[in-house]
Amino acid sequence: MNMIRLIAWREYMENVKTKGFWAGILIFPIIFTAMYFLQTTLSNATPTRYYVFIDQSGEYSQAVETAIEREHQRRIFGEFVDYLLENRKEVDLDLSAAGQNNAADQLIDSADADEVAALEQWLANGGLDFALTMATPALREDREPFELPPRQFIAAGLPADIDASAAPEEIARALRPYLRGERKLIVDSEAIDLFALILIPANVNEDISRPGVMPQTGVGPTGIQYWARNLTDSRLPDAIINSINLEIRNREYIGLGVDNQIVRNVQRTRMPISQLDPSAAEGEEEVSMADTFRQLAPIGFVYLMFISLMQSVQYLLSNTIEEKSNRIIEVLLASVTAGELMMGKLLGIGMSGLTTIAVWLLSFFLFITLYQSSQTELIGQILEVILGSELIPWFVFYYFAGYALYSGVFLAIGSLCNTLKEAQAMMMPMILIQVIPLAMMVFVVRDPDNTIVRALSWFPLFTPYLMMNRAAADPPLIDVVGTTVLLLLSIVFVIWLSGKVFRMGVLRTGQPPKLMELLRLLRQGS
Amino acid sequence: MRTASLESQTEAENSSILRLEHVSKTYGDFTAVNDVSLSIPKGSIYGFLGPNGAGKTTTIRMILEIVRPSAGSISILGHASALDVRNRIGYLPEEKGLYKKMKVWALIQYFAMLKGMNKKAAKQQAWHLLEKYGLKDFAEAKVESLSKGMGQKVQVLSAVAHEPELVILDEPFSGLDPVNQSVLEELITDMASNGQTVIFSTHVMQHAERLCDHILLIAKGRKIFDGTVSQAKATIPRRVILESIDDVQRLSTIAGVADITKLDADGASATNAPQWQIHISEKLNPQDILRSCFELNISLSRFEFTEPSLHDVFVHLVGDEAREHAFR
Repeated sequence: MNMIRLIAWREYMENVKTKGFWAGILIFPIIFTAMYFLQTTLSNATPTRYYVFIDQSGEYSQAVETAIEREHQRRIFGEFVDYLLENRKEVDLDLSAAGQNNAADQLIDSADADEVAALEQWLANGGLDFALTMATPALREDREPFELPPRQFIAAGLPADIDASAAPEEIARALRPYLRGERKLIVDSEAIDLFALILIPANVNEDISRPGVMPQTGVGPTGIQYWARNLTDSRLPDAIINSINLEIRNREYIGLGVDNQIVRNVQRTRMPISQLDPSAAEGEEEVSMADTFRQLAPIGFVYLMFISLMQSVQYLLSNTIEEKSNRIIEVLLASVTAGELMMGKLLGIGMSGLTTIAVWLLSFFLFITLYQSSQTELIGQILEVILGSELIPWFVFYYFAGYALYSGVFLAIGSLCNTLKEAQAMMMPMILIQVIPLAMMVFVVRDPDNTIVRALSWFPLFTPYLMMNRAAADPPLIDVVGTTVLLLLSIVFVIWLSGKVFRMGVLRTGQPPKLMELLRLLRQGS
Repeated sequence: MRTASLESQTEAENSSILRLEHVSKTYGDFTAVNDVSLSIPKGSIYGFLGPNGAGKTTTIRMILEIVRPSAGSISILGHASALDVRNRIGYLPEEKGLYKKMKVWALIQYFAMLKGMNKKAAKQQAWHLLEKYGLKDFAEAKVESLSKGMGQKVQVLSAVAHEPELVILDEPFSGLDPVNQSVLEELITDMASNGQTVIFSTHVMQHAERLCDHILLIAKGRKIFDGTVSQAKATIPRRVILESIDDVQRLSTIAGVADITKLDADGASATNAPQWQIHISEKLNPQDILRSCFELNISLSRFEFTEPSLHDVFVHLVGDEAREHAFR
């Protein structure tokens, strides 16, 4: 036991002391953080788009302007909520507690509950100025002033030489060079690229399609013409077409003699739906957001397990091969038994794996504590739910079981190979096997007691992944007990077998044996 | 009862620290070691000699129970398996290798601890050895920064740091420069005078000749010779070379002279006198021949007597085998 501890400790310390180990660990949170900030900055950094809007029908310009203004206000609103979260006085993670006594928290809460309604209210109250006045008492004194996000879409005037009342084809032809980027528009004596042209022909109303009426099939484009080279940024055409549809529907109602206001009210009526969980105690059946997270959490655990196992196994393999290729193994085997050496390595590398997970969780935790915004707040809540759930013991069990099972196999592979290259060829099937439960992750969470899933859970190499995956859905007792027994038995078997292979393999030189040769060698014993 | 068994055990160890009886090892069709028996007395320096591929390393691995013999039995330090007494054995394998990223002193400490030393004592011992054998300046260096020879010295130290009763060194001299070879020889004699038993394998006869009390000569897996160095030399008939124009045959009356033959004169001699080779027995002192020559009035232009070297013995006993291997 002493020897195992000594070997494990050296194995662990040697790992932890290398720069590569820390680089490998930290790259994950660094990439995560970088991706997060990159995404935020990228969405803020989208350049202002200039568009030319020509309404020859003269009926929709008001609606379109409103729509674009509304889109802008929605952005201000969103950023303002983030600003409040970053700068309010007391940091109170538990939002449902009695912290609703100031305007800032009320705003945050309403934004969480129903964004559309909150935006309506924001607009009705007078937008940013009002909100800023209301929220000021609740904000820290040392805060930075709120920065208004730049407008994303700005209407530009037509170049002077183009007649807005010309035929649509002519206007389009004249603006083509601008839309292609060959010519620049001048806005406020600055040359800019024209992003899009929205052209509403004079007779556009003839193209309105109604149920039961066959649309006219004419030549050329029908309805509103949206000209733009960029096809992926659909925010502008979406905003415009939604606002125009809203407008024409309003007109239809008026034409039919229906009160507009009534329609709007009717459209906002809705039936709530309560999700209830029959397995919960009476009176607590109502499914909360936390419960949903809890059911989705296994995906995260399975993923974490996979990454961490793969990393550990890599160390195990390269370590064993190092010892084998420079023959340290012989000295070791003259000092300790193959079994002690193997167990020591398994434990040492296992500790490295745990260190990795601990560092990840810690950096994740630091990230959400140090950097607060509406998204990280959500992540924090999810994390709290997950860490508080009974999934943790499951994860710990399946992590260790999975580690014991897979590392046993990989250690045996390492002992048979002299170079990492040889080992990689033999590793391939083992990695592919793990891809199967991984690919099923999302499906399993949705349908945890599916017959195929249940059957596959009994395959020991899948058990840690699939049963972890199903853990939140309280799988049938027979599955839990049965697969666990089978898993433990196969761990014992694999460790025993790889001990034999290890003992035989570590002193082998030359090519790794073929499968049949390996079986023959095992039968002969070492 | 207990005392009695302990005593008998000690006795057994005294007479023989390691005993191999009819040990063989086969790998498939290939026989690496074939029916080797030997017995090594406590406190001796024992050399395993043999050409490349003779089975030295396999024998050593079997002694250490790294591989199990296909047949025969081994008794080491009074136990059937080296695994039971592995803390009392030190081992340097043929192919040298160390953890590259470890510091030199920590590495020696680690291997000593694997042999059951406690942490503090192991550290002290590591520093002591490094200082004693001229590596103190490298104690804090990483192993990967050492030269090959230096690394090998470190490995030898890590193999013997726990002061084992039995030290087994597989080709300890290969790759060392002459200065470090003599440092290693010094280490080996130090250990022997400390009461430790040292077994080492080599194919360089000079080391064996300088150090060993006993040698084992194997070739192609078979034991060819096992005994003291002087016994080994006795396997080659001792000879005296004479150059004389007189009748040398008269010397054959001396007890201990086996035969006298005239050597082919290839014109090597300046005097053109005939050369004679006289084989003599172990007991006969060559001085007696010289004295007899005076008494019998045989005038000599040359008298030559040299003890056969272990090299001669080696070539004599395994020469054909070694050559065969060399050309394979």
